[in-house]
Amino acid sequence: MNNIPIKKFYFYIILAIGIAASVLFVQNNDSFYERTIAEVKEVQLVHSEEVTDVYDNKDRIYEQRIIAEITNGKAKGQHIHLTNQYSKAKAYDYKIQSGQKLFVSIKEKKGGTAELSGDILDLKRDHYILLTGWIFILILLFVGKKQGLFSIISLAVNAVLLSYALDVYLKNPEISLLLICSAAVILFTVTSLLLVNGFNEKTYAAIIATLAATFLSLLITYLVIWLTGGKGLRYEELQFITRPYQMVFLAGLFIGSLGAVMDVAITMSSSLFSLYEKNNSIPVQDLKRSGMEVGKDIMGTMTNILFFAYISGSIPMLILYIKNDSPLGFSLSMNLSLELARALAGGIGIVITIPIGLYTAIYFINRKRARK
Amino acid sequence: MNAILVLAAILFILMILIGGKKGARSFFAIFLNFGVIIFVLFFMNDPNINPIIVTLIACAFIGCINLFFINEVNIKTITAFLASIITTVVLIVFIVIIAEKAMIQGFGEEEIEELSIFSLYIGVDFVKVAASVIIMSTIGAITDAAMAISSPMREIHYHHPDISRKELFQAGISIGKDILGTSTNTLFFAFFGGYLALLIWFKDLSYSPGEIINSKIFSGEMITIFCAGIGVTMVIPVTSWITALYLVKRGNSAE
Repeated sequence: MNNIPIKKFYFYIILAIGIAASVLFVQNNDSFYERTIAEVKEVQLVHSEEVTDVYDNKDRIYEQRIIAEITNGKAKGQHIHLTNQYSKAKAYDYKIQSGQKLFVSIKEKKGGTAELSGDILDLKRDHYILLTGWIFILILLFVGKKQGLFSIISLAVNAVLLSYALDVYLKNPEISLLLICSAAVILFTVTSLLLVNGFNEKTYAAIIATLAATFLSLLITYLVIWLTGGKGLRYEELQFITRPYQMVFLAGLFIGSLGAVMDVAITMSSSLFSLYEKNNSIPVQDLKRSGMEVGKDIMGTMTNILFFAYISGSIPMLILYIKNDSPLGFSLSMNLSLELARALAGGIGIVITIPIGLYTAIYFINRKRARK
Repeated sequence: MNAILVLAAILFILMILIGGKKGARSFFAIFLNFGVIIFVLFFMNDPNINPIIVTLIACAFIGCINLFFINEVNIKTITAFLASIITTVVLIVFIVIIAEKAMIQGFGEEEIEELSIFSLYIGVDFVKVAASVIIMSTIGAITDAAMAISSPMREIHYHHPDISRKELFQAGISIGKDILGTSTNTLFFAFFGGYLALLIWFKDLSYSPGEIINSKIFSGEMITIFCAGIGVTMVIPVTSWITALYLVKRGNSAE
């Protein structure tokens, strides 16, 4: 029994080393970047003025003069002079503070001047992602212990799977994205549910229910879009499109609802199995009634999870539209139509998972009974 | 026929078929929440109002809708509500700090071309808006996790009225561990689905890993995912603690 704490001890040591090494790495990885990086040493506010745009929005524009030290490439160690403009809104600009690292471009030196000058391209953000990522992992481990670790592994595996699926799609554009995503969805479901819940009948029932419900909800959504000719869906607002937009939208919708459907499926099957384990001779009628009660309880909150996860992201764009005097109805339909469709389709997936999950769980329970 | 209306109608019919009265309430709750978002939008358009305060008030309303309206006012929902609010407040402090440091607010260079017709100098502080957006996208999951813990804890206390506060807290944590994996998964896939176009875009335009990680949009979305995960994880001990405190205290005073 003594080796369990030792294992734990090793785990914490490895974790601590991992955190320390990765933090040190991102703080000193400038030489791995091709783009020139400079660390801000001095910031001076040189000018500010009030501006009013054509829609009477008041803002203030500030100008900063910055001295930064280049930390990689040929000019390493030299100082560079930069200027930065930002507004109070900071919608597309930012206020630079001393100590930050920036990607910069160096201008050709004009004869005579000793100091370099250049332009700011972007901010170096990698250490903030790492920091938030570690805090997330630590909290997950602290609260969830072993289950926390499994969730982290499952999230990481899914991220890699998704990235790989997209690579396959980009290399073989003749295969439909939906087909590739279907294969990915099967893998996602099997790995996540097995990792989080282990190899048992409860998990198998949930896997089957998840797959059936996800495909059925995709089919319903597809039929609706096809029958209505996609009316009311503003695909032109779908951002970052390099491929057939409708496919990308449907594939995103498909994957987006998967997590919620899995959640409902596993909740249904674990609650039914635990009822069965407490009382092996529980009548099917009772199982059905309890299952539906559980389903009713989770239906509302689950659909709201998707609703908020999708709709909230549109808020900045909506503010921009409204502040630029676009009518409210137009702004909403332009920016929310696809998000609403996603949320509603996810909701449909969640709701149909309840009976599907109920009947697959009952099927597995009956099979288990018959074997005894 | 409008595709969104048809989808909404299908969802409504399914919810009533399966959930009956409660299903109808759940469907109506989506509308109420939509109303809250419209209100948030109006207040955020005023540069003199702090978006963070607006968000906190909105979260309280959303908590009321998701907990008190869909279910009802009882011990389970009250403790879940308190836990959601506490978690939201703690989380928002963290998110504001990160959003300010990482500067993930507003729009990325990938989007800016199509926004050229708009005036960007609109006086609304987009850093605070960015923090609000992260909180708002997690609030649904936070209230859901809080409810999923407080409700079985109430059952445990009901069946074992003599349980100590510490044991009840432990029971809450162990329920939380079970839902942890699926709650993080739900959010994770929801965000992945939403970002699918972006991921294809990055790969198609062959961004280098360094460019992807440091771009405003990608880092913004990663930080959103992590903060959402932190939120649903943090709500577990908070709910267990509050529910244990509340139930045991009430039990003792009744004696």
